[in-house]
Amino acid sequence: MTESGASLESLRALRLHRRREALKTALIHGALILACAACVYPLLRILAVSLRPGDRIISTDLALIPQGATWASYVKVFTETNFLFWLWNSLVITVATSVAGVALASTAAYAFSRFKFPGAKLGLSLLLGTQMLPAGMLLLPLFLMIMRLRLMNTYLGMVIAYSVSSLPFSIWILKGYYDTIPRSLEEAALVDGTSVFGAFYRIVLPLSTPALAIAFLFNFTQAWNEYLVARVILTDSFKYTWTLGLFDLQGQYLTQWGMFAAASLLVTIPVMGVFLYSSKWLLTGMTLGGVKG
Amino acid sequence: MRPAVVVISAGLLAAAASCRLAPQDQGVDRAIVVWEQEDAQVFPYIDSVFDAFKRLPGNADVRIVRNHYQTEDLRQQFLTASIAGSPPDLLMGPSDTAGIYSIAGFILPVEKVFDLSAFNKPVVEAITLDGHVWGVPMTNGNHLMLMYNKRLSPTAPRTTDELFAFCETKAKAKALKLDYCMAFNLGEPFWLMPWLGAFGGWPIDDKTPTLDTKPMLDAVSLVVDLIYKKKYVPMECEYNCTDTLFKEGKVAFIINGDWAISTYRDKFGKDFGVAKIPKLSATGRWPTPMVSGRYFMLNSKLSGAKLELVKRFVSFYTNKENQIGQVKSLMRLPALAEAAGAGIIRDDPILKASMDQILAGKPMPMATEMRAVWDSVRPHLGRAVNKKATPREAVAKMQSEAVSKIKEMTD
Amino acid sequence: MLAPVAQVLQFALLIGAFVAVLEGWLHYHFKYHERNWFIPAAVLGTAALVVFAALWTAGGGVEAGRVVSLAVGTALAECLAALFFKHVVKGRHSLPFMLLAPAMLGLAALIAYPMVFEVYLAFHDLKLTTIMAWSRTGDLPFVGLKHFRKVFTSSPLSEVGFWELSLRTVWWTFINVFFHVAGGFVMALLLNSVTRFKGVYRMLLIVPWAMPQVVAVLAMRGEFHSQYGFVNIMLSKTAAWLPFLKDVGVGPVQWLGQHPFLTCTIINVWLGIPFMTVVILGGLQSISRHYYDAASIDGASAFQQFRMITLPLIRPVLAPAVTLGTVWTFNNINVIYLVTGQAGGTEDADILVSALYKAAFAFYRYSYSAAFALVVFLMLFVSSMVWLKWSKGSESLYD
Repeated sequence: MTESGASLESLRALRLHRRREALKTALIHGALILACAACVYPLLRILAVSLRPGDRIISTDLALIPQGATWASYVKVFTETNFLFWLWNSLVITVATSVAGVALASTAAYAFSRFKFPGAKLGLSLLLGTQMLPAGMLLLPLFLMIMRLRLMNTYLGMVIAYSVSSLPFSIWILKGYYDTIPRSLEEAALVDGTSVFGAFYRIVLPLSTPALAIAFLFNFTQAWNEYLVARVILTDSFKYTWTLGLFDLQGQYLTQWGMFAAASLLVTIPVMGVFLYSSKWLLTGMTLGGVKG
Repeated sequence: MRPAVVVISAGLLAAAASCRLAPQDQGVDRAIVVWEQEDAQVFPYIDSVFDAFKRLPGNADVRIVRNHYQTEDLRQQFLTASIAGSPPDLLMGPSDTAGIYSIAGFILPVEKVFDLSAFNKPVVEAITLDGHVWGVPMTNGNHLMLMYNKRLSPTAPRTTDELFAFCETKAKAKALKLDYCMAFNLGEPFWLMPWLGAFGGWPIDDKTPTLDTKPMLDAVSLVVDLIYKKKYVPMECEYNCTDTLFKEGKVAFIINGDWAISTYRDKFGKDFGVAKIPKLSATGRWPTPMVSGRYFMLNSKLSGAKLELVKRFVSFYTNKENQIGQVKSLMRLPALAEAAGAGIIRDDPILKASMDQILAGKPMPMATEMRAVWDSVRPHLGRAVNKKATPREAVAKMQSEAVSKIKEMTD
Repeated sequence: MLAPVAQVLQFALLIGAFVAVLEGWLHYHFKYHERNWFIPAAVLGTAALVVFAALWTAGGGVEAGRVVSLAVGTALAECLAALFFKHVVKGRHSLPFMLLAPAMLGLAALIAYPMVFEVYLAFHDLKLTTIMAWSRTGDLPFVGLKHFRKVFTSSPLSEVGFWELSLRTVWWTFINVFFHVAGGFVMALLLNSVTRFKGVYRMLLIVPWAMPQVVAVLAMRGEFHSQYGFVNIMLSKTAAWLPFLKDVGVGPVQWLGQHPFLTCTIINVWLGIPFMTVVILGGLQSISRHYYDAASIDGASAFQQFRMITLPLIRPVLAPAVTLGTVWTFNNINVIYLVTGQAGGTEDADILVSALYKAAFAFYRYSYSAAFALVVFLMLFVSSMVWLKWSKGSESLYD
C-alpha cells in the first residue's frame, strides 16, 4: 500500500517534471521560431516586392504574395538588362578569387602554424592590421596601380584585387585549425619517409576540410558582394558584376524597385546555396582560436 | 605522376589563357565612351540615337560605349578616371558638376569647337563660367513644375491659396480618400529653390552664398508647415516615395521635373496635366524653379581625329531631327533654337505648360561655389524637416557652412 | 546572348588550369626550390614564358600578353626569393618564408604600396586645383603636417567635431559588439538546448549573414520607412488595436529622420548576430559534456555552470571573434552609408569612416582625406594592439 503510494507520488513528480520540460522546450522553440522569422522576414519582403505589379511597388501591403502577383519584374530583369552577363562575370571572378585566395592562405597559414621563424608574431599582427584600413582609403592608389598594369575591365585585375583582400581572415581561420591538428601525425609520416610537402598535402590538408570550406565561403561571399573596388576597376557595362548592375537600376532620382528586388533575390540564391552547402562545416571550421581540451 | 601534372597544367594553362580574359581593344580611336546618369526608361531612346549615328555612312567601325552611373558615383569616377588619365570621352548630364570639372581642368571649353549660337541663349548661359562654355546642351529645362492627376483635380490651381483650399476642403475632408494632398521631395534643396525664388531670394549672388536671409527662412518654414501644420505632405518621403504616391493616385499633385513627364503621361494618358507651380499668394510672385538643361561635356584630352569624331557625334545627337525626336519620346524640350518652334511643342498642352514654366524660372547658377551651397543646404534642410532644428537655426547654419566649405574647397 | 556551352567549357578549363597550377605551385613551394636543378629550370621556364608571351603579343593578343607578363613577373620574383633564401639566409627558415612569400607578395602589392601612396598624399597637397598639374607633371607641393592639423581641428561634417565623432564611433562599436555577442550567446544557447529542427533553425538563423549585405541593408532600411516599413505599420496597427498604448506613446516613428543612429544600430545588430552565433555555437559544441555532468552532480545551478564552465572555456574562441568584430564594426561603412547616405544625408548616424568617405568625395580633398584615413587607422591599430596585449586575447591567436 505505502509502496504503491510512493511510486504514485514519484510518478506524479516525474509527470510534473516532464510537463515542465515540455513547456521549457516549447518556449525555446517559440523563441527560436521568432528569431528565425526576424531573420528571414526581410528576404520574404523582397520576394513580395519583386512579385508586385509595376504600379504598386511601394505600398503598405504586408501580404507576402501580393494581390495580382506577377513575374513581370523577373522577366524584365532578364530581358531588359544584361543580368546574365553580370551574373556570369560575378561567378567567374568569385570562383577564381576563392580558389586563389584559399590556396595562397593554406600555405601561408601552414607556415604560421608549424614553423617558428623571426617575424611570425609581427606578421600575424600586420594581418590583423590590414583589417583596420578604412574602406575606400586604398581605392585611389589601387585604381592608379590597376591602371598602370593595364588591368582595367579585366577579370584578372578583379581577381588580383579580391584574392588578397580576404587573405588575412583566411590565414587566421586556417592557422587556428592547423593548430588543432596534432603534430605527431605529420611527424609519423615524416619518419615513414614522406616529404614535408607530402605530410602537408596528404595529412594536414584533408584533415582541414572544414576550415578550408569556411575560408572558401568567406572568400566567396566577400568577392560576390563586393562593390567599391568593382566600381573602380570595371567601367565597361558588359564586364559589370551583379553589384554594379544592380545599382544600374538606380537612376538619378528613380529606382526601379521591382526589378531591383527581383535581381536582388536572384543573386542571393547562389550565396545562400554556398552557405547551405558549407553549413555542415560552419561550426567546426570557424576556429579563430582553438578551444583547448 | 609529377611530369604528368606539369604537362597537364601547362596544357590547361594554355587553354585557359586562350580563353582571352577580356576582349581586345580594337580601334580605340573609333570608340566613343559616354557616361550618363539617366533613369533607366531613357536608355532605349539614347541607344536608338547612338545606333542611328553608327548607321551613318563612314561610321560602320565606330563603337559607342554607354556606361551608367548614379549621380554621386559619376562625379567620383570621372574625377578618379581623369586623374588616372583614362576619362570617358563624353559626359551626359546636368550642369551642376561642370564647375568643378572645369576648375580641375578635366573638361574642354566648347565655344571654339561648336557653333553655340544655334542653341537657345539661356541654356547656353547656364553652363557658362569665367567666359567659357563648358558643355553642349541637348535639352532645355531640367526644371520642376506642377503635375496633377486630372481624375482627382480636373484643373490646376493658379495660386497657393487655391491649392491649399483644395487640399483643405477636398482632400482633407476625405471626399477623395487621399492619404495626402501633394507629394513633394522634401529633403532635396533643388525642390526648395522655386519657393525661395517666390519669396524673393536666391541661394547665391554671383559667388557669395545668400542663405541666411528672410526669403530662405520663409521658404524653409513653408516646407515645415506643409508637413507638420497643414499636413498636406507626407513625412519622410523622398523621391521614390513621392513618385509612387503620385503614380498610385494617392496624391493629387506632385512637383517634379521634366524628366518624369514621359513616364507619367504613359501611365495616366489624358488624365495627366502639367501646370506652372502655383503663384505664392503670400508674396504674389511665381515660384522660380532652376532651369538649365542636360549637356554633353567633352573631356579635355580630346584632340585631333578623335575630337573630330566626337564633334560629329555630338552635332548629330543635337541636330534638329533628333531634338524633335527627343521631344516626342522623352517629352524634354529641345535646346536647339530651330527645334524650339516646332509645331509639336506649340500644340501639346503639356509641352506648352513645361515651356511656360521655363519662362518663369531662373537659370541654375553655374559657379563652383554652388556645389558648397547644395551640400550645406541639404543636411540642414533635412534637420529642419525632421524637426531637429528650427528653420531659423537651419538657415543660419546653411550660410556659415556654405562659407566655410567654399573656403575648404580651395584650401 | 551568351554562347553558353563554349563559355561553360572555357570556365571549366579555367578552373582546371587553376587547380593544376596550384598543385604545381604547392609542389614547388615545398623544398623544391632547394634542389640543384631548381634555379636553372626556373630560369629556363621563365625564358620560355617570355618567348611565348612575345609571340602571343605579336599575334595581337594584347590582353593575353599582359596576363603572361604578369605571370612572368611573379615567377621571376619567386626565383629571386628562392635565390635569396638559398644564398643569403643560407637555408634557415627558408621553407616557412617560401610558403609565406606568395601571400605576402600579394599583400605587399595591394596593401603596402597603396599605404605608402596614402602617406605621400597626406604630406602633400592634392586637391581640386592641383589635380591637373599633378596628372601632367607628377609633382605636388609638400605641406608637412598641415592636413593632420586640420584633421583634429576641423571636421568633415558640419554638426559634429572630430572628437565627438570619435566618441560616437567608440559608442557605436561598443554597443554593436555587445549586442552581437549577447545575441549570439542567446541564440547559441537556445540552439544548443534543442534537438529537433536544429538544422532548420541554424539554416534560417544565418540568413542575414548569408544575404549579400547591400541587399540585406536596403531591405531592412525599407522596413524602417515611416510610411511603408513593416515596423511602423505594425506599430500603428498595435496602437489602433490597443488604444491605451497610444497614450504611452506607441505609434509610428520617423526612424530614418529622427533616430538614424538607432536605426543603423538595430540593422547592424541584426546583421551581425548570426556570425557570433556560429562562432559561439562552435565553441559550445567543443566543450565536453563531462564538465556539465560533473557540475550538476555537485549541484551547480544553470547560471553557475554558464559562468564557471561555459564562459571560461569559450573565451579562446570568443576573444578573437570579438577582436575581429570590433575592428569590422569600427570600420563598417556599408550600413551607415546605405541607410543614411541617400535620404537627406543626415549626420546623426555618421561615424569616423563614413565621415571620411564623405570628406574624400565631397570636395575631392584627397590629401586631407588621406591624412584623416591614416589617423583613423592608427587610432584603431594602436588601441587594438594595446587591447590585445592587455587582455592577452592574442595568445589564442599567436600560439
